[in-house]
Amino acid sequence: MAEICCGVVSDGESAAAAGGCETNSSRAARRRRVEIRGFKFVTAAMASGSSESAETKRQRMEISSLSRECDKAVERLVISDCERENSSGVEDDKDKEITLYQSPILSVKSLGLSSTTSLLNIQAFNVVPKFGVASVCGRRRDMEDAVAVHPSFIRPENDADSEFHYFAVYDGHGCSHVAMRCRDRLHELVKEEVLSKEASLEWKLAMWRSFDRMDKEVIAWNEGVVGNCRCELRTPECDAVGSTAVVAIVTPQKIIVANCGDSRAVLCRNGKAVPLSADHKPDRPDELNRIQEAGGRVIYWDGPRVLGVLAMSRAIGDNYLKPYVSCEPEVTVTDRTAEDDCLILASDGLWDVVSNDTACGVAKMCLRGKMRVAPPTTAPVEVDGVAEGAADKACSDASMLLTKLALARHSTDNVSVVVIDLRRKKNVN
Amino acid sequence: MTRHKCSSSRTVGGLEPGLETFAGFFERWLQEQERDLQDLIRVAKSDSESTQSVAELVNRVMGHYSNYYRVKSESSKHNACEMLTPAWRSHLEDAFLWIGGWRPSMAFHLLYSKSGLQLEAGLTELLAGLSTGDLGDLSARQLARVDELHRHTVREEKELTEKMAAHQETVADSSMVQLSHVVTELMHGGDSGNGTESVDQRVNSALVSKEEGLEQILGKADDLRLKTLKKVVDILSPIQAVHFLIAAAELHLRVHEWGRKKDAQAKESTKPTKIC
Repeated sequence: MAEICCGVVSDGESAAAAGGCETNSSRAARRRRVEIRGFKFVTAAMASGSSESAETKRQRMEISSLSRECDKAVERLVISDCERENSSGVEDDKDKEITLYQSPILSVKSLGLSSTTSLLNIQAFNVVPKFGVASVCGRRRDMEDAVAVHPSFIRPENDADSEFHYFAVYDGHGCSHVAMRCRDRLHELVKEEVLSKEASLEWKLAMWRSFDRMDKEVIAWNEGVVGNCRCELRTPECDAVGSTAVVAIVTPQKIIVANCGDSRAVLCRNGKAVPLSADHKPDRPDELNRIQEAGGRVIYWDGPRVLGVLAMSRAIGDNYLKPYVSCEPEVTVTDRTAEDDCLILASDGLWDVVSNDTACGVAKMCLRGKMRVAPPTTAPVEVDGVAEGAADKACSDASMLLTKLALARHSTDNVSVVVIDLRRKKNVN
Repeated sequence: MTRHKCSSSRTVGGLEPGLETFAGFFERWLQEQERDLQDLIRVAKSDSESTQSVAELVNRVMGHYSNYYRVKSESSKHNACEMLTPAWRSHLEDAFLWIGGWRPSMAFHLLYSKSGLQLEAGLTELLAGLSTGDLGDLSARQLARVDELHRHTVREEKELTEKMAAHQETVADSSMVQLSHVVTELMHGGDSGNGTESVDQRVNSALVSKEEGLEQILGKADDLRLKTLKKVVDILSPIQAVHFLIAAAELHLRVHEWGRKKDAQAKESTKPTKIC
């Protein structure tokens, strides 16, 4: 259904392209036009679609409404530098928690790199991908999710055009401190591993080693913990704290995803959802085998749990459940193609209530929607001294909308969503 | 609306002279909330209201909440214990009380639930090209601010819970244990004259300090409730605030009624045994 809906939007897009460069004043009119088309389309589909299931219709309506929603969200997001300052304590850190980020490409743009010519001529894959982040506490009392975004975290020497970009979502359990440590450290470990093996880079090995080192650091840190986080109240059980980690490294040619736990990375390719990670649940047959071979058991206690405790089979931390709970990530390496729309990383707060397909449909609609509203020829809008690029806002809207959808569908967990735009910039001439 | 403004400000100003109990005030407050709810619903349904008049209504309703907490705070000065175990509430409400009132973090669940329902329910309007003009429209910026406020509120709520715990534990502090022992000895010794007066004084002053502690904590809890309500409303646009206040009043009033009904039924069913 997403493709069909997008088709409607594409019509709007091509109409706009045919009309040439559009001015701001005609935007509203065009938006209305597209909305009406969307409406007609859905009505027609509902009238003629007697053979369709109610669910299909419902989903289509939802997507249409969400695209409308995208158009309406015009307020500026909280913008922050993604690099976090060192902070003294975890609790302290929570105070500074920033829930929304926007791509630092904004600052690049304000330097003038977003001029029409440079945008049109730059080989699209070689620029920092645009992204948006939303991360909320939701219906939980504690925030245990953490998000890390480090564009250009590796710049290979003599090759400025092949930068690597780091995106990750960590979903902590027991307390937030392992997720926070991962947020602050894992990208540095990955960087060290990648740079040390530059000549013969083997992604799986590099990621495996990074996760292993992260795990060891977390356990060592737990032993000497002096912080004042929540779990201090039950100090002996500090070992019962861990975090999932889903890490995506985007290079000009590839997407490397390393996953440990039940957060997930989903690629939206040609309108279809392609999962780039598989959740580590204790009842996954291969995981169940691995746990049992290691001498562990999976006990059903409010769902399958390792030793009746942890509802995932791999995680960073959780020392007391080793070796049944492993920190070894599963790594996928995917070649980027021209058909890639975006990559979505999210914690189970989203995936528990929103399917991969719906998430991709929503994200794609938002990205398409914004491209339509503000073509690259439009000068960046100045808001509070920050030049705001339209596409970045689209990514942020996409992540925020997915978050709202998760809350609307009664997600009871923290919700964290990162949306990364992977599209090639087309030459509009 | 103007008519209501006059009537409501006349009926519920504060405790009426002549030692009106808080229970009496609470009954009038419920009626006022019901009237406010009707006004809010009418504005939510009307599309001809100006932003200014919507904002005025929100201000008026918020004023009523402020007044409620002002009167509650006055009453706690006389009897904090009574305010913490409110007889004017049903058992159902009682069971869900946090320090003599609603749990502040509930405001966010209320907002997320209502916003989620309106996001999904507003589809037809949205498809017809109309703005939902309700909580389904929450923007990214608003959601980020709500999330920040949520975390802050939970932290404050936890701090107060800890304060209450610490204060509750002082019921067994040395002076209380000693006093209860002394009084027991006096009773058993049959010594009704010597020293009883001074012991009574000591008991009184011990209990007064306990009550003062409770009054202080209750005051802080009520401050947090009102502050949370105000801050959420501040984040919302006037029309969104109307929808939020509708949800808040509906939930409060209906849960109260359901609880009352349940209590009445329970009373009914225990009657025969009492007769026997």
